[in-house]
Parts: sequence; structure tokens; C-alpha cells
Amino acid sequence: MDTPTSRMTRSAAKKDSPDSGKKPPFHSKQKMDTEGSSDSPAETKKAKSKTPRKPKSAHVLKQKSPAEFFADNKNIAGFDNPGKSLYTTVRELVENSLDSAESISELPVVEITIEDIGRSKFNSMIGLADHERVDEELYDDFESAKAREKRLAKEARHQEIQAKNASVGKKVKGPMATKPTKSREASYYRVTCKDNGRGMPHDDIPNMFGRVLSGTKYGLKQTRGKFGLGAKMALIWSKMSTGLPIEISSSMKSQNYTSFCRLDIDIHRNIPHIHVHEKRENMDIWHGAEIQIVIEGNWTTYRSKILHYMRQMAVITPYAQFLFKFLSDTPEKNVTVRFARRTDIMPPIPVETKYHPSAVDLLLIKRLIAETSKQNLFQFLQHEFVNVGKSYAERLIGEMGPDFSPKMPVKSLTAQQIVRIHQLFRQAKFDDPSGNCLSPAGEYNLRLGIIKELHPDMVATYSGSAQVFEGHPFIVEAGVSVGGKDVKQGLNIFRFANRIPLLFEQGADVVTRTAIKRINWNNYKINQTQDKIGVFVSIVSTKIPFKGTGKEYIGDDISEIASAVKTAIQQCCAQLKSKIVKRIQAREQQERKRSLNKYIPNATGAIYDMLKDMSQSRASKKKRYEDKDADLLNQVSAHLVTKETLKEKLTQHVEQVDYEMALEYATQTGVKEEPREDVYIPPLEAINKFNDFCSPYFVFRLFH
Amino acid sequence: MADKRKRRRPADDSDSESDSKLPFKSKLKPDSTILQTLKTLKDSATAAASSSSTKPLTLSDLNLSTACREVTDLSLSSVQSSIESLILSFAHSILAGNGFSFSVPSRSSANQLYVPELDRIVLKDKTAVRPFANVSTVRKATVTTRILQLIHQLCLKSIHVTKRDLFYTDVKLFQDQTQSDAVLDDVSCILGCTRSSLNVVAAEKGVVVGRLIFSDNGDMIDCTKMGMGGKAIPPNIDRVGDMQSDALFILLVEKDAAYMRLAEDRFYNRFPCIIVTAKGQPDVATRLFMRKMKTELKLPVIALVDSDPYGLKILSVYGCGSKNMSYDSANLTTPDIKWLGIRPSDLDKYKIPEQCRLPMTEQDIKTGKDLLEEDFVKKNPGWVEELSLMVKSKQKAEIQALSSFGFQYLTEVYLPLKLQQKDWL
Repeated sequence: MDTPTSRMTRSAAKKDSPDSGKKPPFHSKQKMDTEGSSDSPAETKKAKSKTPRKPKSAHVLKQKSPAEFFADNKNIAGFDNPGKSLYTTVRELVENSLDSAESISELPVVEITIEDIGRSKFNSMIGLADHERVDEELYDDFESAKAREKRLAKEARHQEIQAKNASVGKKVKGPMATKPTKSREASYYRVTCKDNGRGMPHDDIPNMFGRVLSGTKYGLKQTRGKFGLGAKMALIWSKMSTGLPIEISSSMKSQNYTSFCRLDIDIHRNIPHIHVHEKRENMDIWHGAEIQIVIEGNWTTYRSKILHYMRQMAVITPYAQFLFKFLSDTPEKNVTVRFARRTDIMPPIPVETKYHPSAVDLLLIKRLIAETSKQNLFQFLQHEFVNVGKSYAERLIGEMGPDFSPKMPVKSLTAQQIVRIHQLFRQAKFDDPSGNCLSPAGEYNLRLGIIKELHPDMVATYSGSAQVFEGHPFIVEAGVSVGGKDVKQGLNIFRFANRIPLLFEQGADVVTRTAIKRINWNNYKINQTQDKIGVFVSIVSTKIPFKGTGKEYIGDDISEIASAVKTAIQQCCAQLKSKIVKRIQAREQQERKRSLNKYIPNATGAIYDMLKDMSQSRASKKKRYEDKDADLLNQVSAHLVTKETLKEKLTQHVEQVDYEMALEYATQTGVKEEPREDVYIPPLEAINKFNDFCSPYFVFRLFH
Repeated sequence: MADKRKRRRPADDSDSESDSKLPFKSKLKPDSTILQTLKTLKDSATAAASSSSTKPLTLSDLNLSTACREVTDLSLSSVQSSIESLILSFAHSILAGNGFSFSVPSRSSANQLYVPELDRIVLKDKTAVRPFANVSTVRKATVTTRILQLIHQLCLKSIHVTKRDLFYTDVKLFQDQTQSDAVLDDVSCILGCTRSSLNVVAAEKGVVVGRLIFSDNGDMIDCTKMGMGGKAIPPNIDRVGDMQSDALFILLVEKDAAYMRLAEDRFYNRFPCIIVTAKGQPDVATRLFMRKMKTELKLPVIALVDSDPYGLKILSVYGCGSKNMSYDSANLTTPDIKWLGIRPSDLDKYKIPEQCRLPMTEQDIKTGKDLLEEDFVKKNPGWVEELSLMVKSKQKAEIQALSSFGFQYLTEVYLPLKLQQKDWL
């Protein structure tokens, strides 16, 4: 809860951000009108204007802008409720930062800060004075006389019981924590994300944030984003929940200034609404972007999700450095987590690729025709699709029918002709697309990430080769770990799609189902319920077949992916198995003697008792035995052979066997050779001057 | 007086329940006709039994290429002496400093063989060594020794105990009853005797009711006068004798619920029969009892099980033995059991409504497909056909599905009609 005294800490913390000196005008009001007010946020007035009201024209044919559509259906972009919105905002910003840094082959450094903003501070930020409640009965949390009576009676009863318990001398459990009345009070957060990425060109900034469905990431390639909404959806959410604008500062490598922009979005017209757009001095030689946004959220319920997200992100991008901070007025609630960099090897940037003929639909063909620069059909086929060579294009055109010729202008194709092309694409056989355009995390990175974040006892990783579903290439990489810190018993599943973690709707996901149902863990000497198993599966593709509105999981219905996931996990398990078997052997080696000796008394006791029974029945002449056996029984009855004798002899035998086995084990295993692991040591002097020459597959770095 | 009360209810029912209410009732012929068909069934069974009984087939007659293992009933004293000679050899071996080791016949499925001539599963002769001085076998070797000691005591005192008793004598060592039970079967194999000759019995599970009179430990039991619950099948088959019956057939029921219905409606009075159930998978005692009835009374056996793979599996255990007890299959199996119902084809034939049918789970379908590969199913083309139909339709139904036409539909219409049509496989 927000109290005036603790608010100072927050404003102190705020000095870190570069633009803290230049506060927006309405910020200055904050100090005067909140310091004195003593009302708790629960009593402040709830209602306030959320979004500017749009003019209503009920019966006119209306058109929706893309921004409006997403504002209405924010759940499909992961903004279902305030908590999830906070989570999605964080992830969109982080993913943007990673993309931006990777695009210039810079090792990413991302700082993300979530600041809790109290109700009254929020009010002052938007220039709204705190209101005392006048009409108490108007509010939802108003306690009517009847309810109060009930509550008081309950409390009295409770006290009575406690008094009784105390008099009897029972341990008193402490005062029953009265549940805080369910408050529908919204909480607000300032989310700041700073990176060392490419930055944005000064003039493009407004459009990059203020226009939905305009982006740099469209086209066929492996991308982190899901809809191409990114920060824009966060902006729409902030507009809906707080009405406060977004603040962006950015600088590019060659620029000697920083661009600062404060803007919000005109949802109705899908255009940016710019408050400030100016160039400022670039003090330190910083490049990248810093985005600050104030939204409604819910830290309490989504805390673990956000932290999980950061942790898993650190697993899949071990070459990035993350600093996550949560600041609030109560210092004990603050969280600071640093995810250090463990490697400087980055996966290559995914390249844009052309469509595979079997992956296109009618609409897409039409779009490609409209966009192509090629003149005739022959060139169009050859250049706009992968795996269509010269001769193959000719054969295809020949097969299309007499209406088609290689030289015919591609823009003149009729609708029927396009349908014919589409049909042929569906039926004809094409080579599978190659996985060259994909950028998997890499087995090395995945392994490092797992070791870095989980510290497992054992880890195995596997990287599959590229495979294909419906004309889209995909690569599955997997890691399986056993043991580790902060890992719970049983299966812990970590899913990644295009190198971003998936946290929701785990149950239906192909990875979860495969790991739980189709892997026989016992085969690999892994106990599914007792061991701490980490299963990491990363799938990259030009098209991830997400399921569900929020694109939160990958369906189990694509057999190619399901079987690839299964193989990948099995491969990891097979690697682990040999390690585990060795470990079990070593343990057995140590415990053999002990476990054998444990049973000696039981076994010899049983045998001796029977011998005694036999010698007794022999004494009563009930039975006859052969000479050798008779001798033995005589010895038993004469106490020459006792339980102790048997025990001693059996112990001797066990010792001898143990010795032999130990010798055998030693000769078999020989000298222990553990595989060595490379240690990553970052260079001490951080700044090197160099030029990068980027290509799709490698980066050539020239040091000066 | 008592007789009147017994009969009144079924009589009332047939009057009040109109024929239109129970589907297919109109097809029923008078009971006397049905009885006639049952008589011919019985006669043929008796004839077959008497012809085959002149030349009972045993393993040794067959000259199989693989050696097989079978156990026999041994007297207490011979069990005792074989235990003693085993223990004495162990004692010598230990004193010579060589430890000791059991040689246990393997009861794994790889060591099982279905012999079509005998129509049952037998055990091949593979054995496994169980030395004491090995981490993986030390526990089992110790447990085996301990069980041998306990059985030795039983032999000395010549008393019977249950498997549960045996387990409780050394809970700390045995840990749970499945372990001591499994070792008990191993001991039977090691000594080459049946489990009953070890004087260890299982708790009573099976029940019998109907036209059967037999002696249990010297007391004469009339199974028509045992009330609704029937007589529990005694665990020691050696105490059972003097079987007499005027029944025409034995009706084997999978479920307790169906058994209750048949017993309460006194089905055995309308059609003279003996009704047996083991409430699911049959225990050893029930199987021994079944076999004894079949061989002594020479009656045909008709089975009423669920229309699912497990129903057929239960049938197979009665018919050709379980894999776990295959070493004693000679004494435990009842050959030539007829599958009366509920068969997959009955679901449509008797128009069992959709809501009473259940979809088969993946596990069910897998079990069904596995069963299709089993030899005892393959030898009966009718069963193969029915099972294929089940796997194809992916539907199963329990006996209780018939209750959708009224609780007494089973006894009033379904069974009589089935018997009348000789609809068994």
C-alpha cells in the first residue's frame, strides 16, 4: 500500500533514468497535493476518465481502425487482464530490445524496471486531485450496518474462542488474519526498458509506436514477435488504463544526439499523437532505446510469471545480460535480479526467405503478384519462391496448361489462372525448404543457459536437423537436465518458440504432452516423480503453429513437430542414461558390501532355524538323513555349528565377492575422465573499436 | 411355504410386465423348449468329456520340442524333505565358504508357451540364478530363504495359513505383500509342487450358488439353500468332495452385480444350473473349484462377461491359465468355456442404447489388439470376429448395460433368448 512517507524512496530511485531532470509539466504538481493527504488509496475515488470518449453515431456504417480492433480484442495479444498486461508489456519490451541489439550484432544488455505507483501519486501524475469520499454508500467496499454487525459478531466469537484456548493453555495461533476486503482498486506501474540496440531513426519514432500494424518485422522470417504489435499494444493498453503517454529516448550509433519523444496513439484514426519530439544531447556514447510506459497492472499475482519469464529468457539467450528491478514503496518487496552473460557467441540473425510453393495460399499468391518486380510468369516463379529452379519453373508452366506461357506478364493473370497455379502448387512435388534461414539458439547456447540458470547435476542437449511441415522449415533443439537448484521434483518443462519462452497454457502444448506421455523416463533410469527433471525444448521456424487466442502454446496435432520433439528429448535422455548408469554403478560399488551385509542375519537366521528343527526331529527319530547331512545335523545339535558360524562364513564369502567385483569395476572403468567445460571470461577492457561486416551466416569483425 | 415365496416374485413379474415393454421378449419360446436345447448341450458335453477322459492328454504325451515344466501335488512330507535337502545343501555350501544360490524357474512372459493341443499356457524350462552375494538378488534370495523357513514350519505343524498370514510374519523383511506372494510362487516352482501343497491359501473370493451339493471339510453344503449370497468357494480344494448336481450347465459370471441379479431371481430354478463368480479376475481357489466341477460333473460351462477386452481376458484365465501361475496350469484351467455374452455383436443385435455404451480408451484398444495376437483367441474364429468388431467399433459395454431395459431384463429375456438360440461361441 502506498503511504506518503515511503514515497521518497521511489523518487530517489527515479533519478537513475536519464530524463528525470526534465519532468513533464503535470509531474510538478505531484509533490504539493499528495504529501498532505492522509487517506489510504482504498478510500480515494475510483472513477476517473479512462479513454477519451469517442463520438457515438449509432446507425451509421462504422469502420474500425486496426488500433481500435486490438483495443477491443486485447486478449488476443495477451492483454487479458491487468496482471497479464503487465507481463505482456514486459515481454514485448524485452523482446524488442533483444531483436534490436541482435540486428546490429551487439551483445544485448537489457535493463527492465517496474515501479509501483500508488494511487495518489498516480492521480497527481495525471493532474487529478485526490477526493475525499462524501457519499460512503456509493462505494462497493462500503460496509452496511448489517454487514458490520455480522463482522463484529464474528470477531467477538473468534476472540471468545481464543480466550478459551488461552485459558486452557493451548497454543494460540495468533490473531486470525482478517482478510482484507476484496478491493477492486487498480494498481499502476511504470515499466522502463533500456537496451543497447540499434535505436530508431529520429523521424520514424512516432510511426513505429503510434501506428498499429506498421512494422519492420513483416515478411517471411523467423521473428520473436507474434503479431507485430510489440510496444504498440502496450501503448494502447496504457491509453486504455491510465491515459498517460509513452516516452521514448533513442540514439543510433552514428548520431551525436538522442531523440526524445513523448506520444500517445489516436486509437480511432490509428495515428500517433505527438506531445514532444525533440533532439537532445547525447551525454555518454550510448546507442539503443529506452522506453517508459505507465500502465495498470497487477504485480502480486503475476510476479512469479514475470520472474519465470526473465529466468527462461536468460536460459535461451545466455549471451544477453539482463537486469530486472522491481521498485515499490515497501523496500522488502523490492526485487533485483541480474542475469549475467555467459557467452559472447550469438546465433546468426535470421534472414528473410522466400515462400515455399506448398506453403502459400491463394491470397498470398495474389499479394506476391501484386508486389513482385518481375515481369513475366517464368521469372516470377523462379525468383519469388524457394526451390523452384529454371527448369522446374518451365516444367511447372508447361503443366499448368495451354493458357500459360513463360513469357506472359505475371500481372495479367486472371483469377482462374491463379487458382490453377495454386492447385498445381498443392499437388506438385517440391524439395523441402532448407533450414538456412532459421536461427536456432544453438546447442552450445542452450546448454550454457541451462547450466547458468539451473546449475543442474547433469545436462544433455541435442540439436535436430531442419525439418518441414506444410512448407515451413523448423528446427527443434532440446535439453534435459537432472537436479539443480530451485527445481522442483518431477518434470519441469521449459518451452521456447522462436527463442522466446512460452509460459501459459502448458497443458495442451506439444512439448508437455510429449514429455509426459510419450517418453518412458524409466527407460533412461530417470524417475519421473522423484528426480528433478528439466526439459527444455526450443522450436524455431518461419511459422510457429501456435494454438489458442493468445498464441501461448504449440498444438499437438502436427505430427512432424511432435515426432521431432520426441526424438530430440529421447536423444538427450540417451546421453544422460550412460551418465546416470555410471553414477548408479559407482554408488552401487560403494554400497554393495553394506547392502549385502544387511541381509546376512536374516538369511543365516532362517537357515539355522531350519537346521535346528531338523536336528530336533532327527533326535526324536522321525527322519533319517544321509551321512554328510547327518554329520552336519550332529554338529548343529552339539552347538559346533551355530548361527554365528554361518554368519561368519557368509560374511567371508560376501567380502570375497565384493573384493572381486571392486577389482573388476576398477579395471573396467579405468581412470576417470570427465569432459572439460570451457569457461567464459569476459574481456576486462570493455570498449574495443571495430567494424562489423554482417552477412546472413557470419559476422566479420575488424578490430582497429 | 418357503418355496412359494421364492417363486412368487418371478411369477408376478411375468404377469405384470407386459411383453411390449421388454424388447425381444416375444421371440422367447416356452421354457420347456429352451430346456430341451440345454439338455442336448449337456449330453454332448458329457459325451465329449467321457470320450476324452479315457485318454487325458498330458504334457509328456505330446513330445514337444521345447522342454516344459509342470508341477504336481506333493504330500506335506515330501515338501518338507525337499525343503530340507535344499537347506542342507545350502548349509554345506556356506560352511565351505561359497555362499549359496537359488536356481529359480523363470516365470517371465518370454518363458511361457501356449500349447494348442492342451489349450493352456505352460512354462518352459528356463531358470534364473538367484545368488545371495549379488546386490540385485540379495533381497530376493533372503526373502526366498525366509519363505522356505515359514513353509517348513507349516509342514512340521501341518496347518494352513493364508498368504496374508505369511506376509505378516515378517513385514519388515517382506515390505509389501506382492513381494512375498511372488516369492511364494517362485518357491512352488523351485520345489515343483502346486501352491496348495505348500499349505498356503488365499482369502476366499469366489462364490457359488445353484444346483450343487458338495462336502466342505465333511459338512454337506446345498448351494440352493445358501440364501442370496451363495456359498463362498473354500480356499482348500482338497477339503472339497462328493459333488452332486442335477444342473444342465455351469454359468460363469464376471461381475458381482450380475451374479446378485441371477441369484435373487433364482435363475437356477428356472433353468437348472450352477452360477459361479470370482468378482473379476479369478483367484486360484475359484479356478481349482471350476476345474473340479467341470471334470467331476461333466457339465458345459457358459460365460457371461463384459463386452470389453478385460472380459475376454478373464475368460482366458479360466480357460487356459494366467501367465503368473502357468507352472500349475494343468490343475487350474477349465477347457472349453463357451462365450455367451455380452458379445460386441450383441450391442446392435439387442439394440443396447447409445448412452449405455462406453467409448474404449486407448489402453482398451491396445489391450484388444494385443488379445487378437494371443493364440487362445486365434484358435476360435468366432472370438476373433467378435474381438475385431469390438476394436473396430471402439465401443464397450458392461453387463449392466442390459439394465437399461429394466433390471430383470438379463434374467427374463436376454439369457433365456441366448440359450434358446444356442448363441454361444
